[in-house]
Amino acid sequence: MQTKDPQKGYIAILGWSLRCIDALEKFDRRYVIVAPQWAEDYATQHNIPFVSWDFERLNDRSFEISAKLREMGVDVAIPLFEETVEWAGAINSVLMDNPRLLGQSMLFRDKSLMKRRAQLGGIRVGIFEEAMDHTDVIRFLKRVNQTLLKLDGDPNDPIHFKAFDKAGCLGHRVIRSPDDVAAIADDEFPALLESHLDGWEFAVEAWIKDRKIQFLNISEYVTLGYSVFVPATPELEKYRAKITEQIEKLIEVFDIDFGFIHPEYFVTNDGTMYFGEVAYRPPGFNAFELMERAYGFNAYQALVLSFDPKATQEELDAFFPTPVKDALGHAGCFGVYPRRRVVSELSIPSETEDDPYFEFHELAPPMESKVTKRTAFGTHWGLVYFFGEDPHRLRDLLKAQEELDFYV
Amino acid sequence: MTTSLQDETLNPILRSFDHVLSQLSTASSAGKATYQGRMLDTIKRLLKHPHGIAAIEPRIRELDQAGIFDGTDWAVPSSLVPGMVGNTLRMADSRTVALECVSLLRFLAVARETQSQPGLPAEHARHFLAQVLALNLDRILGAHHEAARVKAGELDGAVDRLLKHILASVGTEGILGQLVDEVWRILRQRPIQVDHVKSMILQIALAMNEQQQGFSASDTRLGADRLISALFGPTQLSREDPGLQTYRDRLGAADTGTLQAEATGMARAMHDTGLVSDYHGAFLRFVLESGQSYLVSDALGLSSTGLDSFRCYQALVQQLIDVAVRPGTAQAVLGIALMLERGILYSPPIAPSLWRLLGARLTPNCEAGLIAAFGADATPHQRLVAGVMMLLGQPLGIGQGNNPTCQSARALSMWALNDPDYLLWQLAQATSNDRVIMHFEGQPLDSALLPAGLALHTPLDADPVSVVLVPHLDRIYAEMGRMVAGRGEDPHRWINPELHGWWVGREFHIAVDIATGKLHEYDQFIRDFHTSYNPMHNGNEPVIHPQPAGIAVTDSQGTFVGWHAISIIRVALDQSGGMRVYFFNPNNDSGQDWGHGIIVSTHGNGERLGEASLPFAQFTSRLYIFHDDGLKTASEVPVSDDEVVTIRELALQSWARNRL
Repeated sequence: MQTKDPQKGYIAILGWSLRCIDALEKFDRRYVIVAPQWAEDYATQHNIPFVSWDFERLNDRSFEISAKLREMGVDVAIPLFEETVEWAGAINSVLMDNPRLLGQSMLFRDKSLMKRRAQLGGIRVGIFEEAMDHTDVIRFLKRVNQTLLKLDGDPNDPIHFKAFDKAGCLGHRVIRSPDDVAAIADDEFPALLESHLDGWEFAVEAWIKDRKIQFLNISEYVTLGYSVFVPATPELEKYRAKITEQIEKLIEVFDIDFGFIHPEYFVTNDGTMYFGEVAYRPPGFNAFELMERAYGFNAYQALVLSFDPKATQEELDAFFPTPVKDALGHAGCFGVYPRRRVVSELSIPSETEDDPYFEFHELAPPMESKVTKRTAFGTHWGLVYFFGEDPHRLRDLLKAQEELDFYV
Repeated sequence: MTTSLQDETLNPILRSFDHVLSQLSTASSAGKATYQGRMLDTIKRLLKHPHGIAAIEPRIRELDQAGIFDGTDWAVPSSLVPGMVGNTLRMADSRTVALECVSLLRFLAVARETQSQPGLPAEHARHFLAQVLALNLDRILGAHHEAARVKAGELDGAVDRLLKHILASVGTEGILGQLVDEVWRILRQRPIQVDHVKSMILQIALAMNEQQQGFSASDTRLGADRLISALFGPTQLSREDPGLQTYRDRLGAADTGTLQAEATGMARAMHDTGLVSDYHGAFLRFVLESGQSYLVSDALGLSSTGLDSFRCYQALVQQLIDVAVRPGTAQAVLGIALMLERGILYSPPIAPSLWRLLGARLTPNCEAGLIAAFGADATPHQRLVAGVMMLLGQPLGIGQGNNPTCQSARALSMWALNDPDYLLWQLAQATSNDRVIMHFEGQPLDSALLPAGLALHTPLDADPVSVVLVPHLDRIYAEMGRMVAGRGEDPHRWINPELHGWWVGREFHIAVDIATGKLHEYDQFIRDFHTSYNPMHNGNEPVIHPQPAGIAVTDSQGTFVGWHAISIIRVALDQSGGMRVYFFNPNNDSGQDWGHGIIVSTHGNGERLGEASLPFAQFTSRLYIFHDDGLKTASEVPVSDDEVVTIRELALQSWARNRL
C-alpha cells in the first residue's frame, strides 16, 4: 500500500467516484470521501475514509460539514461533480477563511452569471440572453436571425438553449424553429440562450496553482456530445499559445488562485476565440481517463496537487509531463446513443471491435428495450475508447462510429 | 505472410490488453471492480482471435494476481463446481463467459503445473477439467442443440476452440469413459451423419493408443474397442487396420470360409454400432466384382424380410451398391441394408424411381452444391445416391445441421418414412430442373422463382439429400408463410397439410392465442390431445401416419427457448406400462434436457432407431400445436382433472410462465 506523507494535510473529495478513490489510494495524500449515504457500505468494506453527506441542497448545514472536516485536519475540499461545486466553495471559504471562494463557486454554477462576468472582463462571448419562458426563446431566435439579415423563409441559423446549472450536454438543445421551441418543457426554464457560432469547438483542461497554469490540455471534439480525443490534432494545437492567453484571462477575470477548470471555446475561421462556458470540476466524457492513456499521469492525483495548499511547485513540476511532446499517442472516446427506437441487446459492431485503435468499451447491456426519446442532447449510454498514433485516423474513426449501431 | 498478418491483428489487441492489465493490477482493492469489465472485454477480443488462447496463456498468472477474479465467485477456485461451467459458458453476457474461460485456463495452468494455486492441487485441477470436458462433450462433438443454436452467442466459436484446446492439453483419459458412453448414446439414434462421431472415435483411438498402460479391461475399454474396431478393423482380415489395398489383396487370397466369416463379421459390426467401416465397402465391391454376389446378403446382415427384398430386386440393389458404396461413402451400406428391411421396394413406384435416380444427370447447380458440402472425393451423383440410400434406410436419422430449417428436415423425414415415392419425385425435379414445384391451395409455387427463406445459404453441414432439396423446400415454406400472413391465425394450420402431405390432419389445435401469445383454452387443448392421440382415451387407435406437431422447446432450466417442429410417430405403452409419445426431432441429437425433470429419452424406453420419447403427460406439457384427422373416435374416455392439472402445472412452470 502507498505510504502517506504525514507532512501534508487531508484532502476532502466531494462526490463518489471509484476511479478517483483508486487514484487516491495510490497517492501519498491522506484523504476523506464525502458522499451520500448509499456509498457508505462499500466504503466501510474497503476501508475507505468516509463521511456521509447529503448534497441535495446547499443549506445552513454547510458550516457544520466545514467544521467537521476542519476538525479532521482537512486543508481543502475538491468537487467532483457539478452539484458539489458550490459545496466546495462554501467549505473552502471556511477552511481557508476566504469568503470570496463561495461567490466564485456560484459564478461557476450559473451559466448566465458566468457569461456576464466573462464579458465584463473583456472576454469575447457570443450573443446571449436569459430566457424565462417560451416567448423569450422565440424572440431571441428571431432577433438573432434578423441580425444575420435573413429574409422570411430562409433557413434559420440555430440558437443554443442551455439549462443554467447542468453539467455538459445535459439540458442542452439546439433550436432551429418555433417547433423546436414548443418541444421545451416548462420546467426547463429559466435557461440561457446563445447564438450559434460556426467554428471549431474544443475544450481545455487546465490545472492551476498560485494563479499559474501548471498543465494545459486541449481536447478536440469530433462531434459535440459524441466524441473527443487528446491531445488534439496539430491543426488545433497550433492555437496553443493563443489558448493559453485566453486561459490566463479567465484566471484573472474569475480570480482563480488554484484548482482545476474545464472551459469550452470556439475558434472561428479567422482565429478568433469565443468563450463558451467554464466548469470548476473534472469534465464529463472521461477526459481524465483519456489523459491518463495519452500521457500516463493520473489526472485525479493532479487535481489533488492543484487544490492542496501544501503542494509545492517542485512537486507539481515533477508531476506533469510536457504537453503534446510527452504523449504516447492519442486517446479518444465515443459516447454511444442507441439509434433505434427498440433495442434488445448490446452488440459491438465488428468494424469497431476489429479496428486496431479500439481498446475497450464501458457500455452496459440495455435495461429495457424501449429507447426513451432523446430530448436535448441527453446522456449517452456509455463510452467506447480508442487509442492510436495518428490523430487524423483517430478523428475519422471516431466520426465513423456515429453511423454504427451498438444496440440492436 | 500468414504469421505477420496474424500478428498485425493480434498486436493491437495485445497492446490494449497489456495497458488494461496494468491498470487492473495497480488498482487498489476499491478500484478493481471498475477495471474488471474492460479487462474482460479485451480478453473477449483475444479469445475470438484464432491465436488468442496462446496469447492469453502466458498471462494467466498475471491476470489472476492482478485481481480479475476479485470479488467474484471465481475468486476461490477450489470451491468451483464443474457442473456449472457449461451453463455459464452458454450465458448471454459475454463478460461472464470470458471470465469462465479465464478460470478454465487458470485450471489448465495449475493442471500443467506451470502455476500453483493454494488449495488447488494439480491433480484436482486435472480432474475438474476432465469433468468439464465430459459434461460439455456436445460442444466438442459439434452436435448442436436446438437451445444452443437459437441462442448462439458471439463467443460460442471461441469457447468451442478453448474446450478443444483443453482436451488436447489434458488428454482424454478420465473423460474417455464418458466420451465413449456419449458416442454410443448418439449412435443408438442412428444418425445419417456420423462424421463428427467418427472424428471422436479417432480421438479415442489415438488417446488409447498413447496411454495403453492406463486402461484396464473395464467396460469402458470394451465399449471403446467395439467402436474403434467397427471403424478401423471390424473383421479378422482387417483387424490391424492394414489399409484398403492390402485388405483387397488378402480377400483375393482368401478361401470361401474366410470370406463368409468376413461377411458376417462386417454385418455384425455395422448393425451393432451403426457405423460402416471403409473395409466393409471394399468387401462388398470385391464380392460383386469377383462374381461372388451370394455373399452380399450376409455382408448386409439381412433378415428374411431383407433377404427376400434383395432377391426380388437383386440387379437394382447391386447397381445401387456399385454407385453408392465408395471409400468415404461406405455409410450407404447401412442405408441399403435398412432400406431392404423396410420392404419399401415392393411398393410399385419405388424401384423405377431408383432406376431413374441411378440414370439421373445432375444440373451443374446441384453438382456444385454437393461438391461444396462434401468435396470431390466421390462424384456428386455417387454422393446423392448414397444420401438417398441412407435417408430411405434411416428416415429418422436425418438432422437439420446448424440451420434453421427444422420444417424442411421434418418434411424429408416424413416423406422418407411415409411416402418415399414422393420424396424421389421431388428430388428428380430438383436434380434435373433446379426447381421444385409444390401447390398451395391450388396455386403452384415454383422454388426457382421464390426469394430465399430461413436458410440464406445452401446448408453445408447436412446430408446429401438435404443439400439438394432443403434450399427449395425452405423457399416454398417461407412463401406459404407469406401467403397466409394476413389470416390472423398460426400459419401452420394451412402450411402443414399442404407442405407435408394429404395425411396431415386438417383439424388444427393450438394452445396459444396468436395475437397475444397467451394461453388459450389450454385445458381443452390438453383434453383434445388425449382424445386424439392417447390410446387410453381414443378407443385404442394407433397413430396411423407421422403427424407434424409443434413443441415449445425449453432449456434445462425450463426457460422458453423457441418453437420447434417435430413429428409424432407413435403413442404406445413402454416396457414398464407407461404411455409414451415416440417422436422424431429433426434436431441432430434428440436427447435433450427440457428442464424440471423432463429429459427426452432416446433409448431404453422402447424407442426404435432414431425415435425420441417422453411420457405422455410430460410430452403434452411442452406441446403447443397438433393436428387431428377429424374422425370421430370409437369411444372417448374422459381425461381426469388431475391429469389436466398436472400437465398444466408443468407448462406453467416453464414455457407458459408468462402466458396466462
